[in-house]
Amino acid sequence: MVNLLWSGFFTVLLLSGCGWDGTPTRNNDFTPLTSIEIVAVSPTIAVSHTIAAGTSTTLSVKGNYSGMFTRDITDQAVWSSDSPAVATASQDRVTGHVHGTAALTATVGSVSATFKLTVSPATITALTITPAAPTIAKGLSTHFAVNGTFTDLTAQDLTFDAAWTSSAPNVATVSNDAGSKGFAQAIAAGTATISATFDDVSATALLTVTEPVLKSIALSPANPTFLTLSTGSFKATGTYSDGSTPDITSLVAWSSSNTGIATVIASGGTATATTLKQGTTTISASLDGISGTTSLKTTGGNLTGITVSPAVVTLVKDTNRNITATGTFSNGSTRDITGAVQWTVADTSLATVTTPGGNLAWVKPLAVTLVPTLITATSGSLSSNASLTVIAPQLMSITISPTSLDLTAGTSAPLTVNATFSDGTIQDVTNLSVWTSNDSTKATVAAGGLGTERVTGVTAGSTTISATYGGKTVPSPAAVTVRTRTLQNLTISGSFNVAAGNQVSFTATASYGDGTTVDVTKDMSTIWTIDKLYVAILTDSQNWPGQILGVDGGSATLKVSFGGKTQTATVTVTGP
Amino acid sequence: MKRACQTIIALCLPLLFCSPAMAQHSGPYVGASLGVNALMNAKTSDNLGDFNLTFNPALQGSAVIGWDFEPGNPAGEGRVELEYSRRSNQLDQVKFVEGSFNGGGSVTADGLLLNFFGVFHGGNRLSPYAGFGIGAARIKTSDLNVNGYPLSNDSAVVFAYQLGGGVDFALTDHLNLDLGYRFFSSIRPKFNEVNGHTFEMDYINHSAVLGLRVGF
Repeated sequence: MVNLLWSGFFTVLLLSGCGWDGTPTRNNDFTPLTSIEIVAVSPTIAVSHTIAAGTSTTLSVKGNYSGMFTRDITDQAVWSSDSPAVATASQDRVTGHVHGTAALTATVGSVSATFKLTVSPATITALTITPAAPTIAKGLSTHFAVNGTFTDLTAQDLTFDAAWTSSAPNVATVSNDAGSKGFAQAIAAGTATISATFDDVSATALLTVTEPVLKSIALSPANPTFLTLSTGSFKATGTYSDGSTPDITSLVAWSSSNTGIATVIASGGTATATTLKQGTTTISASLDGISGTTSLKTTGGNLTGITVSPAVVTLVKDTNRNITATGTFSNGSTRDITGAVQWTVADTSLATVTTPGGNLAWVKPLAVTLVPTLITATSGSLSSNASLTVIAPQLMSITISPTSLDLTAGTSAPLTVNATFSDGTIQDVTNLSVWTSNDSTKATVAAGGLGTERVTGVTAGSTTISATYGGKTVPSPAAVTVRTRTLQNLTISGSFNVAAGNQVSFTATASYGDGTTVDVTKDMSTIWTIDKLYVAILTDSQNWPGQILGVDGGSATLKVSFGGKTQTATVTVTGP
Repeated sequence: MKRACQTIIALCLPLLFCSPAMAQHSGPYVGASLGVNALMNAKTSDNLGDFNLTFNPALQGSAVIGWDFEPGNPAGEGRVELEYSRRSNQLDQVKFVEGSFNGGGSVTADGLLLNFFGVFHGGNRLSPYAGFGIGAARIKTSDLNVNGYPLSNDSAVVFAYQLGGGVDFALTDHLNLDLGYRFFSSIRPKFNEVNGHTFEMDYINHSAVLGLRVGF
């Protein structure tokens, strides 16, 4: 073992010590410069060595280093002219002033060369701009050049010497700066006439600016991780030629490279990916030949079984109850997939199943069953059934529980109404009851998650909460006493390690100045958040507050806020 | 140069898997070794940019004086030694933006290091060892040139270190043959160029050595 450790250490060491193989950035100036050559950049001037008076051109200096290599050293040259009245030279350009000849000398170190320039007396007769009628998108640019024809029939590039103007600077501008002469920038859609003028001779070009064109598409979230049998949203942001970055989610065509792993559908300005199996797929968005992609990783195993609970349901006609589907996955995890499966009823005249959102499904019986009917939860090729029997006994009475509550102002607690029927059936009718508070300044009552009803203490004092169902009112309303307490502390408890694909519930406990502690996990003013959605997500904030699902290996911070207090906890997810 | 580096690695790595050895000499010793070394391609930098120096492999030599700890010593089984070594490599190529040019001159490193080697004694005459050394090196650029045009002729003293391993073969109770590998490097020495600039260069050296130690 010791030898193995040593060998690993040495291997890493040696591989890191095998020398530099990078690209040099330094020029060789150890080899002496032995000669230089002056060359006109313009091919015609390179041959004729002639420019018209009042024009300019560019010369370059090429250095020869002992015959071993050559290099452009224009920027190192020092220029001089034997006839400054005829022509002058600088590092950038040589300018002809009047008719005559001049010897222009470039010197680099101790090496010199001379370029004999003739300045002709020819005058301009015509100008030609190229391109003549370009079209570019807003935000883009193009470079115009102008060529002059002279009285001696010679032609010369006058892009630098001409004066450039735009007829519509709000549509397109054109530069007169020395380093960017003739460079046009498209500002807004429309047309602009670009003019070049030299010695009172002008030429024009028509520049058409179109609406901005799409240059790239970025998808967010980038490289996300979703659980199998879940959904997630994508957003497409376009970058246009004018630099704008609008949301183009609804404009692009969405696709998934492996629809067996995930599909993606755009609807109403939102692109929703539905994950099916564990793996990786590429989500693409395309528009006008431009595409953006991101990789989608799915975790949590593949679905291997579904269990519906309760498996046997007996309901009184015109009542309802929730039903749950739990998935078993190939990685050994189990989780609530009520919202991810397709619910059907064998005889739709007897009952319906509705999914209002999240992991919640309601069974609502419509007619009495002669024989039980089946409720089926389906995902792909897997399904599971529950047996539903609908009866219609007579309602005898209703009761509320608990019959008394001691509440801290600002917190809430659930209340339940059970109905007793003529055949002895007792059924929870909480979400079907009409609830009233005798004094809503002391306590209010409102629907909570999963069809529960929660009473919230408002201010110190006492009141009663009553409920009515099927024409009957609870004989004894719940007595609610609300006390004012000072919140001191907020804590999170639960298991902070979870495997990818599994769910775990946390409890938020508020501690008050008088020593009272209250479970505020499901209080409507309690806010749960988690920071890294590719590590863990909140299962269903509406129906299962405080419950999270592990998505992928890593750590995330779970945060709960209540009554102005905030508490955080680190959740570690193992997997996938 | 990379091929030479890989060859040295291939030759020396198996030494780490040698079988345990019997107990050996304890007390003072002196020794000398001779070997081949490969100075790796050196990233060389001045204020004008980076260029690359490539060197030829060369011989190297070293002399040591040290102390063998007796087997069972609570400080550990091994040896501590003071080593003087000399490595001198001819400049082969110099690579600039314009391409590669013939180089000339040499880079010589005279190192003085305090070495610590742990020895894995076993039941036979072969004893694998591994360890490290720290100290200083005087690195000299002797008439470095590019196609005969001078580049540098300077020297610098810098912190140096080495890592090494190998196997001792006990010829007698007081005489050991040592076949080893050394990775020798330093912080980047700075040298003056003939044109007035100052450059820094990497110094990374691999060597395979054969040595003889005499214990007293």
